[in-house]
Amino acid sequence: MENNLVAFLCDLLGKIPLEIMQYEFMRMALLGLLIITPMAAICGTQVVNFNMSFFSDAIGHSAFAGVAVGLVMAISPEYTMPALALLVGLAIMAVKHRSGLSSDTVIGVMFSAVVAAGLAIVSRYPDAMKNSQMFLYGDILTISEKDILLMLGLAVVFTVFQLFAFNKMICIELNPQLAKAHRIKVGIYQYFFAALLSLVVIFAVKAIGVLLVTAMLITPAAAARNLASSYGKMVWISLIIGIVSSVAGLFLSFQEWMQTSTGATIVLCSCMFFIISLIFRKKKRA
Amino acid sequence: MKLPPNHDCKCVNAVTFKGVSVGSNDVNILQNINAVIPHAGCTAIVGPNGAGKTTLVLALLNEIDYTGTIEFCSNRRPRIGYVPQQLAFDRGMPLTVTEFIAAFHQKRPLCFGIQKELKQKIHDLLGETGCLHLAQRPLGALSGGELQRVMLAGALSQDPELLILDEPASGIDFKGGEVCCELLERFRKAHGFTQLMVSHDLNTVMAHATHVICLNRTVITQGDPKAVLTQEVLARAFGPHIGCSCGKDHNHGK
Repeated sequence: MENNLVAFLCDLLGKIPLEIMQYEFMRMALLGLLIITPMAAICGTQVVNFNMSFFSDAIGHSAFAGVAVGLVMAISPEYTMPALALLVGLAIMAVKHRSGLSSDTVIGVMFSAVVAAGLAIVSRYPDAMKNSQMFLYGDILTISEKDILLMLGLAVVFTVFQLFAFNKMICIELNPQLAKAHRIKVGIYQYFFAALLSLVVIFAVKAIGVLLVTAMLITPAAAARNLASSYGKMVWISLIIGIVSSVAGLFLSFQEWMQTSTGATIVLCSCMFFIISLIFRKKKRA
Repeated sequence: MKLPPNHDCKCVNAVTFKGVSVGSNDVNILQNINAVIPHAGCTAIVGPNGAGKTTLVLALLNEIDYTGTIEFCSNRRPRIGYVPQQLAFDRGMPLTVTEFIAAFHQKRPLCFGIQKELKQKIHDLLGETGCLHLAQRPLGALSGGELQRVMLAGALSQDPELLILDEPASGIDFKGGEVCCELLERFRKAHGFTQLMVSHDLNTVMAHATHVICLNRTVITQGDPKAVLTQEVLARAFGPHIGCSCGKDHNHGK
């Protein structure tokens, strides 16, 4: 039944009257992007306003260790990657809450730890090298049905959380102390958000690669922040820029005159939006 | 903003501090604080810099660890409205004043718009605190005084039983500070909440507070400001060179 869902959605996309949509892998790639991009764009606004881009970078890099651990324990990386990302995300939050260290320092330590762990394992098992290399650049074109199902599951949880917690997250972003004084359970929301962000990042890694995953999250949001006059508008602009960049990037990378990596093309598209946003930036009132 | 009459607390004191101490590594920030915040009054915490005024507020907000007990009327934490001394926030965030207040009240995500009813409430409240013209401005573009008024509107929108203001006049010029205090007095009488303010402006305290806690690591004295803030007490709290004749003439000074 689940496979039918993915097949149904793919068929739907197949109705788009474009030649390249006849290819199964293109329909899958577009479907994958259409699920992950809105989540990345919304998370992105929160990451930008929360100052958490380093956090998402660290989670992205945990993908290495995730793949490596999976290979050693003979578990499919499909499961070990999200599991490790979740673990690292929650660990960063926990250490931050319990120690007097700045979040940059905590993330820096965790970041190095997971990358070192990944490298250590990979260096012992050279076979793992090939496999983990694909995560450097990502490959949306090889996305599997299982990946899409997992992403759909994440999208459901993500939507429920955002519908309930979106405004509370704004209060916490603004000033946790004020939020706490006004009866918002800051800790729970922060942990929940860290968990969801970790999962969104790790699925985005599959699409776009470790090197560019942070760009996928923050570039649309950064451009939106330049243009928006209110928080509500920032979310919509970020969403539109994210989706347009993803779709445009996917199609452009397939043009005969381009033939570039899809992930890189998507990021270049959103960077173009960022440059345009700098030109049309709202003048800050004194 | 119409507030329901939920302040039917019969207690004399809204908050009672019993032997509250705050300290870390042999440094005592607050030592054995025994004090009360009378219900429906305006209590001021005064004291020199580093006396632990903000620390006492943070203990009350449960933001820091303390020993001793803080008792509330009816044994339940009151609904608190809080105006921090300085709100540290990302000034580049494109959040409007209306959105800021709405975020604390509305479940539906702000990007789907603000409910009409809530918008009207915020509109009224901003009108009452004299910052209606700021409604659509980004929060980061406000001046210190404007921001404090908006914070006040936000705190009042909580329909507080206990309104806590940390240095309410520090970001506002003298005239603005006066207006702010009068506004608060009017609000307090209309809505019957308990007000607690941290202040080092003795003139304001003399003019507006009904109860004062004079603090310097420990409670120097507490009670009716006109009765307890004598030259001798002020000298003990602030040192002998306080040079303020507030006890006699509160128009003097700044």
